[in-house]
Amino acid sequence: SEEEREAGRTGDSGHCSEEDEEDDEESGDESMEEEEDAANATLTKQTASESEEEEEEEEEEGALRWKEGLQQKASEAFLRQQEAAPNLRKLVYGSVAEAADSEDEEEELGGLFRVSRPQNSKKFQANALDCSRFNPDTSHDWDLEEMLNSIRDCFVTGKWDENQ
Amino acid sequence: MASHGLTYDGCNFFRQRLVLSTLSGKRVKIKNIRSKDDDPGLRDFEASFIRLLDKVTNGSRIEINQTGTVLFYQPGLLHGGPIEHDCNTQRSIGYYLEALLMLAPFMKTSLKATLRGVTNDPSDPTVDLLKSTALPVMKKFGIDGDGFELKVLKRGMAPGGGGEVVFTCPVRRTIRPVQLTDPGKIKRIRGVAYSVRVSPQMANRIVESARGILNQFIPDIYIHTDHMKGPNSGKSPGFGLTLVAETLNGSFLSAEMASTPQGQGDPILPEDLGRNCAKLLLEEVYRGGCVDSSNQSLALLLMTLGQQDVSKVLLGPLSPYTIEFLRHIRDFFQIMFKIEVQKPSEDTRKGGDKILMTCVGVGYSNINKTIK
Repeated sequence: SEEEREAGRTGDSGHCSEEDEEDDEESGDESMEEEEDAANATLTKQTASESEEEEEEEEEEGALRWKEGLQQKASEAFLRQQEAAPNLRKLVYGSVAEAADSEDEEEELGGLFRVSRPQNSKKFQANALDCSRFNPDTSHDWDLEEMLNSIRDCFVTGKWDENQ
Repeated sequence: MASHGLTYDGCNFFRQRLVLSTLSGKRVKIKNIRSKDDDPGLRDFEASFIRLLDKVTNGSRIEINQTGTVLFYQPGLLHGGPIEHDCNTQRSIGYYLEALLMLAPFMKTSLKATLRGVTNDPSDPTVDLLKSTALPVMKKFGIDGDGFELKVLKRGMAPGGGGEVVFTCPVRRTIRPVQLTDPGKIKRIRGVAYSVRVSPQMANRIVESARGILNQFIPDIYIHTDHMKGPNSGKSPGFGLTLVAETLNGSFLSAEMASTPQGQGDPILPEDLGRNCAKLLLEEVYRGGCVDSSNQSLALLLMTLGQQDVSKVLLGPLSPYTIEFLRHIRDFFQIMFKIEVQKPSEDTRKGGDKILMTCVGVGYSNINKTIK
């Protein structure tokens, strides 16, 4: 769990499950508190003669500092979680939120004919081309060196693990 | 056997529904097939697919309404044996062959299918691709032996066709469960650059440009040039490239491109085709996994139909077609996969996220197979 915590602390891009997320926040809190304590300690040394009231004030300020950017932190954590693996099982087997059936929207002409509007989104998908091909991700530009570098270890010419 | 059938809407995923229906013995009804289209109902290629299905089975009942917007299919027994089929040229032979690959191991007698039509077109997996990737996948599941091959006798490009392939497959009573969790590193890249009714030089130009990109990764590249002449060259001109990367553990990742069919859109230069195809292969390597993206559903089907034991296969990201296939497997076989995402660690450069699929087979046994 020490490793996990470490990973959480560095907050690497979206590489954390929900548990890590919690760890991250916890460890963040802890480190904040530690800092606070340290700050308080130095303060007490410097101003040993000062009254306790001021010390309390200082503590309050520290508490406020802890609350700074809470919203931003939360939104960052949320985004990280979004980026992290979506629950694929839910995605595959979960119930599909079906779009409201457009059947009802059909206009009637003279109470006799119904205007059928072909290819609204859901029906269009149902009647799309039956093809197994998986089109590539267009955001990948294979002219870029960094893209090429991202797969170098897939080849025997790349870096090998120590146990291989 | 289910007493009631399954009902679906629309013509998408037409083949997987009919294939799974045939294997599970469940009836299927497909409604609203292009019902709002200007030209409603089944297309010729779908009718041709139904005829092929009728040829390999015995006792199937197929009912189609007058406008072709509703199809009812009650599967019969898979018979197999020698069959010949003229595949409609609207789709390539790959379209038909993908379904046959799924059915072939479960026939009564071993299948010897002679298929005629378009061997290579840009939209479907070509016969060359299926030959070099789908067959190795099936071998992992214990479907192999002498009579297991796919031969391209004549090449026929879209739109004219005129190609011919022979697919033979032995029958199996049960399917072996597999554990494919480590693809290993890519040791070599092979490929076929084909050209018909154009200058044979085209294939060389393709090879040159594809090598230019792939050589920065690995030196072991051999792209075979295949120029068919005379009666073996089909009715339309064209060229294309199929690339296959083979890993140390015997997984195959593939990519392909074919030239634009004559009279449909802008023509493409062989150099561009070679380069783009090489980039597609890099994309496929980035996706990774033990089975490439075009064979995901075949592997998942064979896992489902395996003996009652755990099967694991590592895949790249699931394609939309595969996701729908998983839903259909749940409908027809009541099997749900365990889906786990494996993130590559930071310091390795092995492409994107991988997905580990785990399931317990239904213990399907081929009741059609004759006992000798």
